[in-house]
Amino acid sequence: MKRRLELTVNDECLDVEIEPHRTLLEVLREELGFTGAKEGCGLGACGACTVLVDGAPVLSCLTLALEVQGKTVTTVEGLVKNGQPDPVQKAFVDHGAIQCGFCTPGSVMSAKALLEKNSNPSGQEIREALAGNLCRCTGYQKIIEAVGSLAKPR
Amino acid sequence: MNSESYAYIGRKQPQIDGLAKATGEAKFTTDLVLPRMLIGKLLGSPYPHARVRNVDASRALALKGVKAVVTGKDVPGKKYGVFVSRMDETGLTVKARFVGDPVAAVAAVDEETAMEALGLISVDYEILPAVFDPEEAMKEGAPVIHDEYERNIVADTHYDFGDVEAGFRECDHIREDNFFSQTVSHATLEPRGVLADCDVAGKLTLWTSTQAPFQVRRDIIRALDIPASKLRVIKAHVGGGFGGKADTYPMQVAATLLAMKTGRPLKIIATREEEINVRRRAPMSIFTKTGVKKDGAIMAQYLKILADSGAYSSTSILMMYNSGLTCMIPYRIPNFKYDGYQIYTNKMVTGAMRGHGANQPRFAVESQLDMIAEDIGMDPADLRLRNASQKGDTTVSGLHFVSCELSRSIEESTRNVGWKEKRRQKGTNRGIGIACGGFVCGARISGHTASGTNIHVHEDGGVTVITGSADIGQGSNSVMAQFVAEELGIPLSDISVIAADTETTPIDNGTFSSRVTFYGGNATLLAAREVKQMMAGIAATLLKSNAEDIVFRDKLVFVRDDPSRSIPFGKLAKATEGMGHGRLIIGQGQWAPTNTQFPDKKTKWGNVSGSYSFATQIAEVEVDTETGQVKVISITIGDDCGQVINPLSVQGQADGSVAMGIGHALLEQLLFGSNGQLMNPSLLDFKIPTAMECPPTTLLEVGTPDPIGPYGAKEIGEGLLITTVPAICNAIYNAVGVRITELPITPEKILKALDEKKRREKP
Ligand code: FES
Ligand code: FES
Repeated sequence: MKRRLELTVNDECLDVEIEPHRTLLEVLREELGFTGAKEGCGLGACGACTVLVDGAPVLSCLTLALEVQGKTVTTVEGLVKNGQPDPVQKAFVDHGAIQCGFCTPGSVMSAKALLEKNSNPSGQEIREALAGNLCRCTGYQKIIEAVGSLAKPR
Repeated sequence: MNSESYAYIGRKQPQIDGLAKATGEAKFTTDLVLPRMLIGKLLGSPYPHARVRNVDASRALALKGVKAVVTGKDVPGKKYGVFVSRMDETGLTVKARFVGDPVAAVAAVDEETAMEALGLISVDYEILPAVFDPEEAMKEGAPVIHDEYERNIVADTHYDFGDVEAGFRECDHIREDNFFSQTVSHATLEPRGVLADCDVAGKLTLWTSTQAPFQVRRDIIRALDIPASKLRVIKAHVGGGFGGKADTYPMQVAATLLAMKTGRPLKIIATREEEINVRRRAPMSIFTKTGVKKDGAIMAQYLKILADSGAYSSTSILMMYNSGLTCMIPYRIPNFKYDGYQIYTNKMVTGAMRGHGANQPRFAVESQLDMIAEDIGMDPADLRLRNASQKGDTTVSGLHFVSCELSRSIEESTRNVGWKEKRRQKGTNRGIGIACGGFVCGARISGHTASGTNIHVHEDGGVTVITGSADIGQGSNSVMAQFVAEELGIPLSDISVIAADTETTPIDNGTFSSRVTFYGGNATLLAAREVKQMMAGIAATLLKSNAEDIVFRDKLVFVRDDPSRSIPFGKLAKATEGMGHGRLIIGQGQWAPTNTQFPDKKTKWGNVSGSYSFATQIAEVEVDTETGQVKVISITIGDDCGQVINPLSVQGQADGSVAMGIGHALLEQLLFGSNGQLMNPSLLDFKIPTAMECPPTTLLEVGTPDPIGPYGAKEIGEGLLITTVPAICNAIYNAVGVRITELPITPEKILKALDEKKRREKP
């Protein structure tokens, strides 16, 4: 039996009718058309599906959509404001932190969450915050550099 | 012109589609949706070796939402494969050869229905005896996996150059050692997938995650017996390949067949479990015998390699060719013999993976060189320097090096890390190790491998580059744009790239063998120069000068000695189009090296690549002798990839290679059960390095512009990975005195070896 889900995605209030067993990742990608978040494993191992729920990073492949009832979800698409990419997105591009880009939406969201919480993370803190986002292309160095470039000394 | 005077070459360029990827706009196959699209799923065999007697799909077809079921009987059974001489796949099979080998496929309105339908298909199997170990499989009387291949030998490659026996007789010291390099997964973050569409006229279009759309077309038209003109294959954004998406996979055949059958678009996306079960790196058992003179000069080398092919051939003959060939690159070896065998087994298929056949013997040889250095009391870096290949060398096997800075790469990387001092440090658990290697810039052993690019200049000066080269994440679209930007003096933002579409772009073999920058880059340069020549002629008329004196830079076209006589590039484009009776500004380039030969059929002699890359890698590690954990502290690379085109992507290739090498050396291994079934097909159980394990890499560029590569560029995508593993192995030995010859180097192996060492030392 379908259930009604109300949530805010990228500043837009939405409601959808969904089967209760659908994951947030499935609903975002298949029902709402936000294909930014990716499925790399579907088991919580790769981080490609990372989105923010009320500002905190979650693995949307492991989250039932109904768990975010009434909550605010931000996907990688939602970081673009007035046609302008978020500084995190720009830093990823400029530092060469993107190769194939399949892990990028997830890594960008983890980085965004980190910087919101801690505006001046150390290299080690960046590595830890991104440890759940697997990347097979970049060897992580440029991702760490990109995030580090946004650290603001207090 | 030196690199200082370039506007774009040698300068950091973010990928031209970087922002699309960073914002979620880039569309990978999984993101594509068409109206009335169905979802497909494959049914894999539960047995490692079994004939399909019958498939009863009636219950599946009766399920609401199921639109079609196809089986091995529905494909014409014409075999396809990477090499014409080794075609052995049909897409869906009537004889399963490994657990998971697809025997049927279903189309349904959604994934859940498709999954349910799979469970309702009943297959009657005749179970056949199976064999899993390559050594067992090549014995007389072992189960035959493909009828045409006796003793399951799919590739046997032999070299015998110089006089190896005589060479060994001249040696002061000879070592014989055995090594084993395990099997690992490509583990691209994107699981493979395909979307197939069939229009009313029967024209098929495939969007797919591939490194080689033209190969996919070639294979599918064979497998399904359809004319080439009826199938268009378009590469979507690809989430990494590393060789694993270089050949056609069953899902692509099944999706095409189901789209034909249902007349509806149909998408199949692999789960991670299915993804891991498609391709993997070949495990190899390697026997190495190397002989040297007192001064370290290598006189003779012999390698015998036994590789597991898994159930199908894939790239077998090229892989086994590469395993021997790449041993000839870094060092001068006057006498060389090699016997390589690849053997079918009833396990999932092995195929190309970054470094393709070079990694495994490199690990063996570089480990053994360190053992030899210790035996003869020589510094391992000096031993390598003593034997390093030089520019102008032709190897005994016919490889010819038009550029080579290996000696410099050894000297600079050792100097950079403080090699002599660090090697001497005693009493710590830190160590430092070195390894050298080299790689082809596109090896051609058969068939056609030219690349092509077309360039259109629009009336406002915008440029479209249409290339067959497939960007799979490494950034080749950006590199092609950089070449055009440099030639035409316009920014990358004015250039768009259309790539890898069998209907609209020039034919291209695909992205593998580290050929893209070398081949595609040269083709793009030729196309850009054709456009430039046409426009320079017009500019010369307009500016009252000679075409040779016209310069293109900063969106301006001007006279070299008098830049005030200039015309904006956009204006010149418009003027060029309008001149005379009007014309189109189109450039065409196609390129393949002319200094190569096919390897001789019998002897394998021949120069298969226009140029070769060279690299030295130095790893510094720390070993925890309590836990056996190895931590890689730093990696330093002296790299000769010729002229660097884009330092950002070159560094990215280095970082990514190092990460993959750490995985191969220390972490990764695919495991198989007693039925040949994959035991760890998930990213939870097959662990790849995370941001916590990967150290910073220092990349020292020691190359000089290559005379053949575009702007002097050579490859960097694969050659670096092959030296990471042995550099780590050698560093571990330097740190704690244990030599691990079977990968991966797990903490258990370290602890066991330390224990044995202790017992040996105080009996
Ligand atoms: S898809 Fe969610 S963690 Fe991999
Ligand atoms: S950029 Fe390809 S997986 Fe991260």
